Amino acid sequence: MTHWYNYLLFYLWIAPHLVLLAVAIFLLKQRLFSEFPMFVLYTWYEIAEFLLLFTIAISRLNHGSWYLHTYLVTLAISTALRFGVIQEIFNHIFCEHGPVDALARTSLRWITVALLLVAVGCAILTSPQSFGNLFAGAAWIGRGIAIIQCGLLLFLFLFSSLFGIALQSYVFGIALGFGILSSVELVQWALSTTDLSPSMARALNLLPTAGYHVAVVLWLVYLLVPAKQILQPSIVPAEGPGVGIDGWNSELERFLQ
Amino acid sequence: MTMTVYLYICLAALLATTFVFLALRRRKSVIGLDQARSLMDSLDLAAFRNLIDPEEEAFLQSRLPADQFRKIKRERTWAALAYVRDLSRIALEFSRFAHAVQTSSDPRLAELGRQMAYGAVSLRLLALQATGRLFVAATFPALSPRRPDSLLDQYARSTGLVMRYGMLESAQKRAA
Repeated sequence: MTHWYNYLLFYLWIAPHLVLLAVAIFLLKQRLFSEFPMFVLYTWYEIAEFLLLFTIAISRLNHGSWYLHTYLVTLAISTALRFGVIQEIFNHIFCEHGPVDALARTSLRWITVALLLVAVGCAILTSPQSFGNLFAGAAWIGRGIAIIQCGLLLFLFLFSSLFGIALQSYVFGIALGFGILSSVELVQWALSTTDLSPSMARALNLLPTAGYHVAVVLWLVYLLVPAKQILQPSIVPAEGPGVGIDGWNSELERFLQ
Repeated sequence: MTMTVYLYICLAALLATTFVFLALRRRKSVIGLDQARSLMDSLDLAAFRNLIDPEEEAFLQSRLPADQFRKIKRERTWAALAYVRDLSRIALEFSRFAHAVQTSSDPRLAELGRQMAYGAVSLRLLALQATGRLFVAATFPALSPRRPDSLLDQYARSTGLVMRYGMLESAQKRAA
């Protein structure tokens, strides 16, 4: 049982970062860093964070609260970058849609304020017994952040579908990955402050990395698989007799009749 | 575990399910050009124009008693609202169609798709605004809603672009 658990724990810790490395390299090869600088930065940051934490965990540096402090600091930076990525997705989707872009920006601001209030409300209603425990405090904040990120991504999907705006394959994949990751983190942070049985606590330990694994696989799949063109323009345009001005004129005449 | 924790788990499960549902729904097929044309034909624009015509309204007001006019105006506004809802649905279908055309490997079609998408999204926004205004007007007949001229102009522009796409497609078919 312990062997099996340890293998799974290490697999779920290491494997997602290897997949993420593939995502990061693919982003660079496709020159998507100019389109999604924040997401590219996020992927490389996550890889660096993993290397740092993994080194601390397996080396003799893991004394006292060294690992926990490093984990919390890197998590804070990672969370800030995620907000940046969400903003980047919004800009990317709506920038070409004129009046809807302005509406999207305004709505995003108000939705963020509303979600912040919801997160604060939830935090007040379920505040921990004491903030003496650093991890309990982090869980309290993490839960609120997960609520905000889930809400923002849900709003992104609903708002784009309200206007029939089709997200490019990889943009959709990035947003979907973050959506699932935020949902899993919401459960993780909610459960982490409760008294759990040892077996439940061990299972909970696997939850964030498993969610992360799903997210990075989604990113890779949506980046590699080209956008499915649901509607293919029936014929590839070709220059030739009948396609020039004459062709257009005759078609116009036919429509005007 | 407390009740609150269960609530968080349910909320997260609901959110994750919603994200997966949205991913699956993305595969929903887009209408074709013929369906776009039949949608355009299905909308009786002349009737809609008549329902929102201020002169027609003034004529009815001059001929009918006040309470009867209010009743008629409310019915006309509800009817106009039904037209705007149809127009809004058409705009949504146009937008999906345009975004699909935008993925074309041909730069001319992709550019046309981009223009169509811009127009369809603007049309949808105007239709949603008009829906809100007409709903208020139907609830409070004393208020006179602004005539949705920009909505009709945008609809004309969008249908023009769809027709242009149709012409290009037909010309290519004939040449092939």
